[in-house]
Amino acid sequence: MNAIELDYAIRHFFHVYAENLDEERFDAWTGLFDPDQCTYEILSKENKDLGLPLPIMGCFTFGMIKDRVAMLAKGVLTYRRSRLLRQVSNVQASYTEDGHVLAKANLVVYQSSEEGVSSLYMVARYEATLVLVDKRTLVRKMAVIVESFGIDTMLAVPL
Amino acid sequence: MSKVPTQSQINLDWPRQDFSRVPYEVFTDPHVYALENERIFQADVWNYLAHEVELASAGDFVTTWIGSAHVVVTRDKDQSISAFENSCAHRGAQLVTQVRGNMLKVACPYHLWTYSLKGDLMGVPMAQGINGKGGMPSSFDKAQHGLRKLQVKVHAGLIFGSFSSNPPDLHEFLGPHSLSQIDRLLVQRQPKVLGYLRQRIPGNWKLYNENVRDPYHGSLLHQFQVSFGLQQPTMKGGIKLDADLKNTWNHSILSESDKEQQKWVEKAFEGTGKYNPNMKMADPALTQVPLDLGDGYKTTILSIFPTLVIAQVDNTYAIRHLRPKGPDLVELHITYLGFEGDTPKQTYEKLLTANFIGPSGYISLEDGEALRLVQEGIKSRAPGTHEVLEMGGVGAIEDTDYLSQEISIRGFWSHYHKIMGF
Repeated sequence: MNAIELDYAIRHFFHVYAENLDEERFDAWTGLFDPDQCTYEILSKENKDLGLPLPIMGCFTFGMIKDRVAMLAKGVLTYRRSRLLRQVSNVQASYTEDGHVLAKANLVVYQSSEEGVSSLYMVARYEATLVLVDKRTLVRKMAVIVESFGIDTMLAVPL
Repeated sequence: MSKVPTQSQINLDWPRQDFSRVPYEVFTDPHVYALENERIFQADVWNYLAHEVELASAGDFVTTWIGSAHVVVTRDKDQSISAFENSCAHRGAQLVTQVRGNMLKVACPYHLWTYSLKGDLMGVPMAQGINGKGGMPSSFDKAQHGLRKLQVKVHAGLIFGSFSSNPPDLHEFLGPHSLSQIDRLLVQRQPKVLGYLRQRIPGNWKLYNENVRDPYHGSLLHQFQVSFGLQQPTMKGGIKLDADLKNTWNHSILSESDKEQQKWVEKAFEGTGKYNPNMKMADPALTQVPLDLGDGYKTTILSIFPTLVIAQVDNTYAIRHLRPKGPDLVELHITYLGFEGDTPKQTYEKLLTANFIGPSGYISLEDGEALRLVQEGIKSRAPGTHEVLEMGGVGAIEDTDYLSQEISIRGFWSHYHKIMGF
């Protein structure tokens, strides 16, 4: 893939990724991860800047990623049921020496209430290691670094 | 004109002496909130500031909040710890804008007045004027213009501050149960910070105080715990209160009878829709981390008036600090701890079990939502209406050897009512 093709592919990947979460297609979202080896972490910028390891949400295996969304889909958790819309921008992609793709992007998430009142919920950025397997782009490692780490109420649905 | 409300602006009805009824206005009335600042946060209490490990070296500082007051906590070259209001003695500007860092002195960006790390005024630029003209009057005494200081005491690494000139004895304030459990949780091993979590809950700060004194909700709201066998309402445990009834130690303990009781739990939760006894986790590693203290305590929640909670939930250890931001918003600030000497495996397990707590915690995220729902719900309530606190019994406020109770919440209100002068 040349640089233009890579840029297009990674933009497309993030659009699919965000839409799967927006529409709560959680199985499709977990399908974007490499089941053989993957991690998903939401980190606060505060901890990252201090070099502290604590994640806000830490899924260190594919099973843990599936569990996170299963708890939502199966109704185990009581959480704020607001509509979330994700806007991904400033997507950048480059190859690493071992042929993986290093991808970065900015994220804002808007929340809308049942009565149609919207507000900004989250400001964050993605830092991802992606692999290309059989023409599919899969997540090996996804870190979502949250700038708005004073989290409004709670963070139940992955970013 | 004083911004502190007069008693006549606050009209609260406390119809029962055992505090089994609490007027909803305590969560919504801005006059009550303003009075709390004067009678609690600025008065004769010890407020949690930070842990000593956060101020390891001379010049280290952190900032925190006591009610509406922004406070800087420092370690000086002589190793002493000081705390002062983050507002210049000259024109009131905020002095320190970072959350934490290291500094040699405190300098106001506006007119460059400088202060020592103890909060004493050291330098006033152009105090002698220029070319014999201007300057400060000869009557100006730097010793009289330091920053507003707090009294500071440290117990077991926990730094407390008080705006009172005559605060209570810290050990008496904490009470015997807090002292013994702080020893168990934070002294027998040297804590280290693994990270911070912040959750801005759109609810009154006292709703969180109720929540942590309310083991009744634990196994009802938090079905994750029950579904995956982490916690049950039938578990052994209970609450113990200090002499003022303001601080609560609640705890649950593993026992041989837990497995037999599981059937009772399944029956009790049948049909609720939330309980999922047959659900299996794809990766249950999170629920299989052994308790590293090995003493069987599944939870230890120390709720210390007015804004501190020291909590062990399974294998997580955290200092939770409430930072009120108005009548209907509180920041829950969590300092998440590991311990010196933890192996890489133990550290990994603490990062794994951190998924129980904080804004994304399988347990704690639900508390944020529950408190939001209460604050939303009580907006509808007419003045003079009350919440009902009768679980576990009414009347005497005393220790229990069972978990499903609201008696310790009544203890909180008993002390609150007294200290607020209602």
